[in-house]
Amino acid sequence: MALTFSVQAECGVTRARAGLMTLPHYDVKTPVFMPVGTQGTMKGLLPEQLEDLDCEIILGNTYHLGNRPGTDVLKKVGGLHKFMAWNRALLTDSGGFQMVSLLKLAEITEEGVKFKSPYDGSEIMLTPEKSIEIQNCIGADIIMQLDDVVQTTFQDNDRIKEATERTSRWLDRCLKAHSRPLEQSIFPIVQGLLNSELRRQSAEEHMRKNVNGFAIGGLSGGEAKDDFWPMVSLGTEVLDTRRPRYLMGVGVAVDLVVCVALGVDMFDCVYPTRTARFGCALVKKGQLNLKQKQYETDLTPIDKDCSCSTCKTYTRAYIHCIVSVETVACHLISVHNIAFQMHLMRTMRENIINGTFVQFVKNFMSEVFPNYNYPTWIINSLKSVGINLCENYCSF
Amino acid sequence: MRFFTKKLSSGSERVGSMTGFLKTPSAVVETPTAALLTQGGSVVHLTADVLSRVFSDSKLLWVPLSNSAHLENGLKAQGKGVAQFAGLQEHFTCVTFQNMNEVTPSGHFEVDKVPLWTKHGKKMISADRYMDLMEVFKPDIILAIADSRMSLEEGYKRIAKSVDRTTKMLNTCVERYKVSKELQNSCLVGVVVGCAQSRKLEESLQHFLRHKDILGGVALSGLTDGTEESNDVPIDKLEAIFEKVSNALPKDILHVVEGCWNPAVILTAISYGWDVFDGSYAVKLSNLGHALILNFDVTRDMKSSYLLDLNDECYKDQFVPILESCECLACEKHTRAYIRHLLNTREMLASVLLSIHNLYHFDQMFYHARQHILTNTFEVYKKHIIKQYESYRSLKLEMDIAETEPDHSLQVKKKSKLVEEVTNNNYKVNCNNI
Repeated sequence: MALTFSVQAECGVTRARAGLMTLPHYDVKTPVFMPVGTQGTMKGLLPEQLEDLDCEIILGNTYHLGNRPGTDVLKKVGGLHKFMAWNRALLTDSGGFQMVSLLKLAEITEEGVKFKSPYDGSEIMLTPEKSIEIQNCIGADIIMQLDDVVQTTFQDNDRIKEATERTSRWLDRCLKAHSRPLEQSIFPIVQGLLNSELRRQSAEEHMRKNVNGFAIGGLSGGEAKDDFWPMVSLGTEVLDTRRPRYLMGVGVAVDLVVCVALGVDMFDCVYPTRTARFGCALVKKGQLNLKQKQYETDLTPIDKDCSCSTCKTYTRAYIHCIVSVETVACHLISVHNIAFQMHLMRTMRENIINGTFVQFVKNFMSEVFPNYNYPTWIINSLKSVGINLCENYCSF
Repeated sequence: MRFFTKKLSSGSERVGSMTGFLKTPSAVVETPTAALLTQGGSVVHLTADVLSRVFSDSKLLWVPLSNSAHLENGLKAQGKGVAQFAGLQEHFTCVTFQNMNEVTPSGHFEVDKVPLWTKHGKKMISADRYMDLMEVFKPDIILAIADSRMSLEEGYKRIAKSVDRTTKMLNTCVERYKVSKELQNSCLVGVVVGCAQSRKLEESLQHFLRHKDILGGVALSGLTDGTEESNDVPIDKLEAIFEKVSNALPKDILHVVEGCWNPAVILTAISYGWDVFDGSYAVKLSNLGHALILNFDVTRDMKSSYLLDLNDECYKDQFVPILESCECLACEKHTRAYIRHLLNTREMLASVLLSIHNLYHFDQMFYHARQHILTNTFEVYKKHIIKQYESYRSLKLEMDIAETEPDHSLQVKKKSKLVEEVTNNNYKVNCNNI
């Protein structure tokens, strides 16, 4: 079996659950955050550092890896695990998202996505079959179907409908082309943007397929948070509870807490490592921009309660001195930011198992918003799964 | 810090040890050694965590002010010195004025100030200001401030001025050092300049000797301005200087050579009793995408083993370590193909892995040098390493000529033949080593 998923504990109030996802390369404890290592490397960190950080599964990008080092090299070496010396689990995206985010000249037809290579200008056609062929070659534990991606804020309903339905058709082609079903699991991607009818239809169609898990895509692309959470909620409502659900592109702490409560098991986002490169360190209340002058003589660690190697060794003052000048600063903040994400996920999991998840969510939100000025989307989304944030302060 | 020479062999080369560091009195750094070059107080590209995975023992860190002066306010607030501030408290520091691995503009001198070229612009530094900074940086070793950045081709007038200025500044450093409470446990090293003019060199040496009771070491500088051309000095010319300066000075002090010198120059210097090098050569290689692959086994003749340019496409499917027998973290887990991919995609891990390998391998070169000195076989080892460097040099020259070949296909053919010669035999060269 390429994937088995067992739910170990359920929250009881919300849809949150703690699970164990057994993959060919590693047993992954959910809910899980998956850091993104685009080109077969995690922004300057060694594989052993990632293991020390408790990363159990990381992401690679099919589009980038297919170009460099290329499938011939990956085939020769026997897959990305060996190439990058990473023994734990891997997930690759389909390459479809890069088409839209990176390439203005992409042309999408029923056949696939046609685009000009940014490397040599040649015309390339990425079909569902081609995407799976590359992903089979990369050899990640979980691979993604090619989906027809439309910008999240796009308004044309006909195009959204076409994209949603095409995504279902492409799923069939992907499953048919898949040559390593015993070692790799294809996750279908629920599409439909912000149209709940289309989303429901998409999720229901995917449910009928013989797959080991699902992804919720097409979100976190600049839409209003009030539009975002009902789509996540709809996804986890329709998709069955026996298989893992992966919400693509979400990684900010409050979003993670809300979406775990909504029943999501897996997340990925470039945010922790990207923001590190800009000198920003994640803390519970948001982030510290270590470039700011106020940290020049601040002799405390980024987070005094954090046990990562950065916080144990370095002060804000020191990182302030080298930030955006030395690569070391970037590595130090990346380590902390990944540790922050891992710690948050671990804490949620423990609270789910201990039956204290609801209290955890309330405490977490009151720490992030000490004046109880909760955004409406957080109040509403949590209310929809039985957590009433307002009762705390309303009773005072 | 105290320095002892442990073993004087039949030649002038010696094994010594630095010890008595304030924070870790039991730690010892054996010489000859290369320091680890730092930028902003950190070993270039490596966090403290990664560094501890590469070296388990304490190392000497080379801290040029030109890339670390901006730490001043943080250091003042913290008050524990640069090693602690940079999270490297188990290591020792040698603070210097400049980084000879960088090329800086010439000129801009004032009567009693020298220009410090930093990322934040030019700062004019007097000897007094320099010693103020030393009291904040609290290094184990202080290289006195000097006007020393010049090639051996420099004119008489410039050299004379540099000796004058260095002399005056050394006087100030010594005066300040004598009365400084903060620096009681630091070792002050005087800088000798004027190498290109024997009379001026003599003058610099005489001045150094006037302070010999205070100074714990000598640093030889004024051999290069940091450019490629000026680092490319005929070795016999340098040899004469190494010998002359070494002979003119007391033997029991630490002998330091500043500059981004290749292994051939370094081993020659060691043979004249020089102990400490600034380690910038390893950093330069890493930043170029090059990996050092010296063969240390003197019983094996490996002409074509010196370095790999991992930018080259020929490595894209070589799933073997940089050097098969190397025990560094990079070689234990990663391949040439992976590092070449990281270079090709400009990923930061390329610099991390290359730094790990090059620092480790460079350190091994010194380890083997010490072993050979102890067994009186240093001359054989020196020749063995220099031979590898020289055959690489001539090979590279051929490659450069091949590149000027007007017929492109012929050029590629010639080049690939040469690359093959370098790459195909050598990854196993050190298998039987140690």
